[in-house]
Amino acid sequence: MMTLQQQNISDNNFESCIKCTICTVYCPVTAVNPDYPGPKQAGPDGERYRLKKPFFYDEALKYCLNCKRCEVSCPNNVKIGDIIQAARIKYSTHRPSLRDSMLADTDRMGSVATRMAPLVNFTLGLKPVKLIMDKVLKIDDRRTFPKYSPVRFETWYKKEAAQVQEEFSKKVSYFHGCYVNYNYPQLGKDLLTVLNALGYGVRLLEKEKCCGVAKISNRCIDQATRDAVFNLKYLRQAVDEDDEVLLTSSTCCFTIRDEYPHLLHLDNHDVRDHVMLATRFIYRLLDEGKAKIAFKEDYKKKVAYHVPCHMEKLGWTIYSTSLLKMIPGVEFINLDSHCCGIAGTYGFKKENYDYSQAIGEPLFRQILDSGCDFVACDCETCKWQIEMSTHVPVLNPISVLAEAIDIEKTRQLNA
Amino acid sequence: MKNARKTEYDVIIIGGGATGAGTARDCAMRGLKTILIERLDFTAGATGRNHGLLHSGARYAHTDPESAAECIKENMILRKIARHCIDDTGGLFVTLPEDSLEYQDAFVKDCLKSGIQADVIDPEMAVKMEPAVNKDIIGAVKVPDASVDPFRLTTANILAARINGADIITYHEVIGFEKDGDRIVGVKVRSQRTGEEDTIRGKVTVNAAGIWGHHIAELAGVKVNMYPAKGALLIFGHRVNNMVLNRCRKPGDADILVPGDTISIIGTTSTRIPFDEIDHMDVTPGEVDLLLREGVKLSPVLATTRILRAYAGVRPLVADDKDPTGRSISRGIVCLDHAKRDGVEGFITITGGKLMTYRLMAQEATDMVCRKLHVDRPCETAIVPLPGSEPTAEDEKRRANIIELSTEQKAAEERHGSWTGKIESRSDSDDALVCECEQVSVAEVNYAMDELHVHNLVNMRRRTRLGMGTCQGELCACRAAGLLERHDKCTRRSIDDLASFMQERWHGMYPVCWGETLCEVQFTSWLYQGVMGLDPEDSKDIDPSSF
Amino acid sequence: MKFDNIIIGGGLSGLVAAIESQRAGRRTAIVSAGQSALHFWSGAFEFLGGSGPNPIIDNPLEVAQKLPPTHPYQKIGIKRTQQLLEKVPGILADAGIKVEGTLSRNHYRLTPLGFLKPAWLSLDDYFMINSPDDLKDKKYSIVNIEGYIDFYPRFLAHGLLKHGARCEVTAVDILALAPLRKSTTEMRATNISRFLRDDAVDALARNVNAASSGADAVIMPAVLGMFSDAPVQRFRRGVDRPVYFIATTPASVPGVRCQLSLRDCFTRMGGTFMPGDTVVKGDIEGHRLRRIYTYNFGDMPLEADNFVICTGSFFGHGLIANIDRIYEPIFGLDLNVDGGRTEWYDTNFYAPQPYMAYGVVTDRDFRPSLHGETIENLYATGALLAGFNALKEGSGAGITLATALHAASRII
Repeated sequence: MMTLQQQNISDNNFESCIKCTICTVYCPVTAVNPDYPGPKQAGPDGERYRLKKPFFYDEALKYCLNCKRCEVSCPNNVKIGDIIQAARIKYSTHRPSLRDSMLADTDRMGSVATRMAPLVNFTLGLKPVKLIMDKVLKIDDRRTFPKYSPVRFETWYKKEAAQVQEEFSKKVSYFHGCYVNYNYPQLGKDLLTVLNALGYGVRLLEKEKCCGVAKISNRCIDQATRDAVFNLKYLRQAVDEDDEVLLTSSTCCFTIRDEYPHLLHLDNHDVRDHVMLATRFIYRLLDEGKAKIAFKEDYKKKVAYHVPCHMEKLGWTIYSTSLLKMIPGVEFINLDSHCCGIAGTYGFKKENYDYSQAIGEPLFRQILDSGCDFVACDCETCKWQIEMSTHVPVLNPISVLAEAIDIEKTRQLNA
Repeated sequence: MKNARKTEYDVIIIGGGATGAGTARDCAMRGLKTILIERLDFTAGATGRNHGLLHSGARYAHTDPESAAECIKENMILRKIARHCIDDTGGLFVTLPEDSLEYQDAFVKDCLKSGIQADVIDPEMAVKMEPAVNKDIIGAVKVPDASVDPFRLTTANILAARINGADIITYHEVIGFEKDGDRIVGVKVRSQRTGEEDTIRGKVTVNAAGIWGHHIAELAGVKVNMYPAKGALLIFGHRVNNMVLNRCRKPGDADILVPGDTISIIGTTSTRIPFDEIDHMDVTPGEVDLLLREGVKLSPVLATTRILRAYAGVRPLVADDKDPTGRSISRGIVCLDHAKRDGVEGFITITGGKLMTYRLMAQEATDMVCRKLHVDRPCETAIVPLPGSEPTAEDEKRRANIIELSTEQKAAEERHGSWTGKIESRSDSDDALVCECEQVSVAEVNYAMDELHVHNLVNMRRRTRLGMGTCQGELCACRAAGLLERHDKCTRRSIDDLASFMQERWHGMYPVCWGETLCEVQFTSWLYQGVMGLDPEDSKDIDPSSF
Repeated sequence: MKFDNIIIGGGLSGLVAAIESQRAGRRTAIVSAGQSALHFWSGAFEFLGGSGPNPIIDNPLEVAQKLPPTHPYQKIGIKRTQQLLEKVPGILADAGIKVEGTLSRNHYRLTPLGFLKPAWLSLDDYFMINSPDDLKDKKYSIVNIEGYIDFYPRFLAHGLLKHGARCEVTAVDILALAPLRKSTTEMRATNISRFLRDDAVDALARNVNAASSGADAVIMPAVLGMFSDAPVQRFRRGVDRPVYFIATTPASVPGVRCQLSLRDCFTRMGGTFMPGDTVVKGDIEGHRLRRIYTYNFGDMPLEADNFVICTGSFFGHGLIANIDRIYEPIFGLDLNVDGGRTEWYDTNFYAPQPYMAYGVVTDRDFRPSLHGETIENLYATGALLAGFNALKEGSGAGITLATALHAASRII
């Protein structure tokens, strides 16, 4: 024999579940929403029935916020979150609503909104507009919308930065994502500041679209797949030129690395290892002695770090926290790893708003009790949620670095 | 039992398999005062230990056209009367590269001769229809195979018998017969639980005890030569295939893969075994290897799919009365009138046949009973739906909104059909799942205890699928024991029952104890023996065949 | 990335080894592939309790002297084992877990099925007695949460009755649990504990009081305080007689609390905990493990001076069984397995199962070997070790803790 029964391969991954129920302990949704069947039932248990007949699909799976904390906790490496998301994609008979499609299409929303940013920001803040969105679209009126930037990051980069970046002999590529492009170009600029000081030029991919996380979770799978194929083409182009592709969003990073193959069934093995968070890249440079860093002497901050769910899943928290801890003036507080509740577009939906806030409540309390100056966090949607719910500012670790490093000194160290 | 002691029955049926249950139903429907006596639990014998295949008959078309014709006829009947027990999967007969396509040609001709629809389809089309099949197949024929749940089917027959006035007694072993001269007028039974002995009187006794009928016949003083043939099967953790897969060749080992409820079953082997083994069957490593090796040819994905259990059943092969040497085996149904054959009045043996033809066997036996009792009532078992399969207005209403239901509500619906409404949920707590793998709720457990002759966890498993899922009782056995105890109010017995149930589960697991199954059983042992302290002193005496 | 010590496995063994290493000032990291078997903790640790009809009560340390020389306790030495294990209550206390008990004499815990089992340490609010005689003429009120099916009050009552105690069985309900009850699967101890906060605790206490008047003590399922001790303390203050908890299966509330408390204790000390990551391979050069590679860290290895492997038995995937072989998946360490799969098991579920005693073989210092050659800076602990059946010995936690502390002493 015995090439038989050597292992359970990925298709049957759910069979590795030995019903220990540990995942249910760490699911943020079961704790607040009894309509959600919980990761074990929604995942491996339900999957056996769905394989019997798709008819056994339970629409309550929509309450899963795809945080993957079940997967992190599973002692048997069952891809519980993937199983649930794949089931939603495969079996749900409900079509994505207008609202879901709108929330999912961050590129279209962003390109329209940035063109009229002041107006859009003003309008989205208006009570009557929020009420209409609440009633008509079922986007909760208590939710604060992220502000749109009047100038897109891409536009700024081409105009102000591209030429300078080409002058560096060492280069990396940057997948900026929708948030940096449409809402918060400053984060992209901060990355350039840090990497330039470390001796690296930053170029953009020739083209990029939204990573697709919102489309996947809203089951707009055809569009998500189209965008992903598009992205992979340009990621490949960068990787072929020996560039590492850096990101500043843990969710975009996780989506490209893991959701593309697991949920969209796209082969990304040739680029996966080269797509990484900027903090990983920088940590490695410093750890291997390939770059040096100097910090401002007068930088003094009390920083609380929040682990986004997809960061927990990536397992890369240590890169971001190590960099923050390197800053001499930082008093570092590690917040309990706990979902903030927003989960991308999930928390915008009226039916989820209360659950979303209930999920995040322990985290908000801990942040408020911590007395920190700001929260550091690698995810933009966590940022919206935490800022809205606590009024404590949230900064990406890259922005913290940009603020804390002594640029001139660092540049000289790496010259 | 108290009532049974005082009653003079028209007919006593020995054996709670499909045949016995079907005979009880038929007799009761024809107005006979009927009692069924089962040594252990319903479906404890061959009925509960086979493929669960609703044969189209195609399998027998070449070798045994008579059986084939019976099969397709019964197939069509069962689809109507037992729809909640049947999953209309369809079936394929596929030709592997190592098998000959010539067989397929002959096979199709034979099928058509026996009235079995057999459509030759393009192998590529077959792979599309059933992606789990070996992609290298060179031929494929579509036939009306399906899967049937033997536990559900038997329970439904028992319920039908009961509705029509039959008495049902489980855990009573027949230890002898009451005779009046050459006439059998009753049976002596002993309670498995208390050891108490009793006599039940009846005008005609039907021996429907499967392979155990050999011994029953001996007790009655007649000789029916049976040979036990062991067939081993493996249960895979989920539905690998959604159509029945058969190898298109002369019937051999491990050439049928059936999608049963939530699982798939590969089988079977065939080995003659001595009588002293029929109550103690172990699946050997050799049988496991053989099933896997051959099964993988049919469906390569089996090589990497988790195996939940191995089990074996015993087919009763009956010697042909026409052959004086006793060596040749009867084909098809054997219904013996021992008055004619052996001069023993009031005693009938119904055997041979197969799960597929249980209803027909029951009909033949009941016809014979009726002739003896001079009762002239037609058999209606082919037209009256079984309990759970009758269309009711209430049922229709419930099913109209089924898509909105949760997975567990749908699962209960599949198990109990139109009787699902009888599962009464009195509070939110009753909706809680006891068995999470198989989606069995507290309410369903309560219903089974009240209505479906449940005395222990194994009975519960057969009525509801509790404990049949991936964890093999790890999560649910103790919960169910708690509920059973609450119902029966006998704590000592419940704990012993729990201990036995875990042993019974282990019996099917150790032949396939590697990979996640070993991981699972270690976990289960820690929980039950470690955390809960379940460590019976007399564990050696737990007999897994005593259920 | 470089650490002084890396612990592979984040269960009881790994956490305790890591805490001791970090306490000694060594930069320590734990790589943990999912949560651990500690999640099924009964609330009591065993040192050597035996099993079956003749439990070990008096002098387990003396009984330990008779264990075979290959047994982990003997390898460490019984005296030293005792010294190491005497540190455990203190280590747990640092993490906020209060236990009672002594190595010189086992006490009894009450199992969820109502059996008395010997134990070395029990959580201070869990049911423990010194002798079955202590139960005589006691009156217990066994109180379940209405609709909770992982607690078996009548089994407990039956068990206590055997020893002369009288029991009343009731169930109480509180409004705060109404939403959870709607869920058909999630009315689990750990989820109940999330709902039992603040006022809900007081409401529960009031109902328990009403249900238990006249009893000497209350016995309840452990459904309080998964993330902190506070709800338990609040509850005990509110109930007008002693309350003892019974841990339920799976996952148990005290188990989760113990896991999280030890982990917090470790990270508070500055230790690095890497959750949900799997070690895939290591580089062994010159009889030393130089670095390990994990799934998440990819081509960035983790280096350390010393490594401890506490990946557990089959549960935990410290060992993996295929149809024809058993192996240790990270390094392929030497095991004590011989024979094919028919040798791995006993057909009696309750008999000592050979597979339970499988594990990595080590030198006297618990350093495993690869092809017969000892790896000098790698230590194995706990359920991964070969040569004992912890379930039958009633020794799981004791071995886990003793070998973890032994390994810690070697790497600091």
